[in-house]
Amino acid sequence: MVRLTESLKAKPPSRAIWSGRISIGLVNVPVKMYTMIRDESFQFRFVRKNDACPLKYERVCTLDGEMVEWADVGRGYEVRKGEFVVFTKEELDALRPSTDQRIRIDKFVPFKSVDGIYLDKSYILAPDKSGDAYSLLRAVLRDMGMAGVGRFTLRTKEYPILIHEYRGSLLLTTLRYAYEVVDPNDVEALQGLEEPDIEEFDLATKIIENLSGDFDIMEYQDTFRERVEKLMDKKMKGETIVVEPSKQEEVKELMAALQETLQKLQGT
Amino acid sequence: MERLTKFRFTNLDKILYPKLNVKKLNVIEYYIKIAPKILSFLAKRIVVLNRFPDGVEEKGFYEKDSPGGTPPWVETFARFSETSGREINYIICNDLNTLLWLANLAALEMHIVLSQIESYEKPDQLLFDLDPEPPAGFNEAVEVAFTLKENLDSLGFKSYIKTSGKKGLHVLLPLVGDYNFSQTREFVHQFGKYLARDSDLVVSELSQSQDPGKVYVDYLQNSVGRTMICPYSLRATPQATVSTPIEWDELKGLNPEELNVFTVKERKKNPWAGFWENRQRLEVG
Repeated sequence: MVRLTESLKAKPPSRAIWSGRISIGLVNVPVKMYTMIRDESFQFRFVRKNDACPLKYERVCTLDGEMVEWADVGRGYEVRKGEFVVFTKEELDALRPSTDQRIRIDKFVPFKSVDGIYLDKSYILAPDKSGDAYSLLRAVLRDMGMAGVGRFTLRTKEYPILIHEYRGSLLLTTLRYAYEVVDPNDVEALQGLEEPDIEEFDLATKIIENLSGDFDIMEYQDTFRERVEKLMDKKMKGETIVVEPSKQEEVKELMAALQETLQKLQGT
Repeated sequence: MERLTKFRFTNLDKILYPKLNVKKLNVIEYYIKIAPKILSFLAKRIVVLNRFPDGVEEKGFYEKDSPGGTPPWVETFARFSETSGREINYIICNDLNTLLWLANLAALEMHIVLSQIESYEKPDQLLFDLDPEPPAGFNEAVEVAFTLKENLDSLGFKSYIKTSGKKGLHVLLPLVGDYNFSQTREFVHQFGKYLARDSDLVVSELSQSQDPGKVYVDYLQNSVGRTMICPYSLRATPQATVSTPIEWDELKGLNPEELNVFTVKERKKNPWAGFWENRQRLEVG
């Protein structure tokens, strides 16, 4: 039984990133799409250390060191070491799928039958203008536990996608292509492994039973992020940053020893 | 936490002796605990550092000049160095703060000159540096040390002994301050020659110092500006040994490698406690 996460924490987006319609045969459901997965890692820019002047990148030829104008920049694919096939931006653009404001659904499958390994990134779909068609689709998918499978072009890439109901919303999840996923059977280190003996197996089973519990993502916190945030606050208040010495037990012992030595030295 | 030092300790988790997993924290703790014993030997004289910021398995470096960032409360002594060809600001370690600041610089080895800065040309101690050449080792140095002591005793001298922290032994006489280095050097050299006459094990000349299986009585350390590893200083050996003052009766069967960063700070003994009260004259009465 999957336990729902009590509280998802990321800030809701203020603007939709796309709008269009879900097409199921001749039926259309108008929707807006919102970001659901946020990369909350800190984005640092390269700046000069002493005056925080932001740095820019320049396109420089690796052979003669000359600056290259955008107009002269091509897209090279290295087919062999040092040997490139060059495309222009226009050539590549002509090959890209056209975006047509449609999420095409080809068929419906039981959501639980989809192998989770193909799920990539999820987006929230919300009704656009009228909510009737949206509510209907949401109710039916929830009730039947089914998901629509189809295709969708976001910006310049076409993805296989899945639409299903989640916490009162329709979600669009982009899927990975089969060629993007490695079959573990093809990993050499996994071949010819022997099955364990029954005693070992029983013992391992007991260990796992003892450590069993409910999955809760809230048990995992991004401590690096928290520390960066703290330091950021201090820097913004203009406090001098001193790298905090670790407050381990052993450091306390060091201070105790120091106290003792100071007393001894004063006694002499 | 109340600040007990004038500076902050840094990189306490840095491993300085990888074989024993000794961190900078342990080194600083050692110098904290040994401070009451080591400070009288460091005080008022030039200390030359042998620093190992990346631990003893990486190259260290000697530092005579006070490094950049030396805090203003560290006493220094400016003097022209013949060997460096310029004026050097030597570090003088008179107090606990300076000692621990040095430890925090990973100055594992502290080498001292045998005179105080105010009477730089007048040694206040005299050193017999017993230096065994393989296959001779610590046991051979012990044998020579006992012979040396017997002779010093018979002339009425009170001598003090410490391990070098490596294979050698250092025998010292604290002196009243009106001799010069050529006199102390000559005294040790003559003594070495005398011992060498009676023993196949002992050699007394620099040219013989590499003779295999011999113990060289090095007298040349008794010179202006030359240094000796300070009593209670750590050594940059894999075993984190200490140049340790010992009682003469501890010497037999002693394993100098057991005197290290962990054991020496716990020693109750203070074999050199009377060192500075026993300054002696070299003339034999």
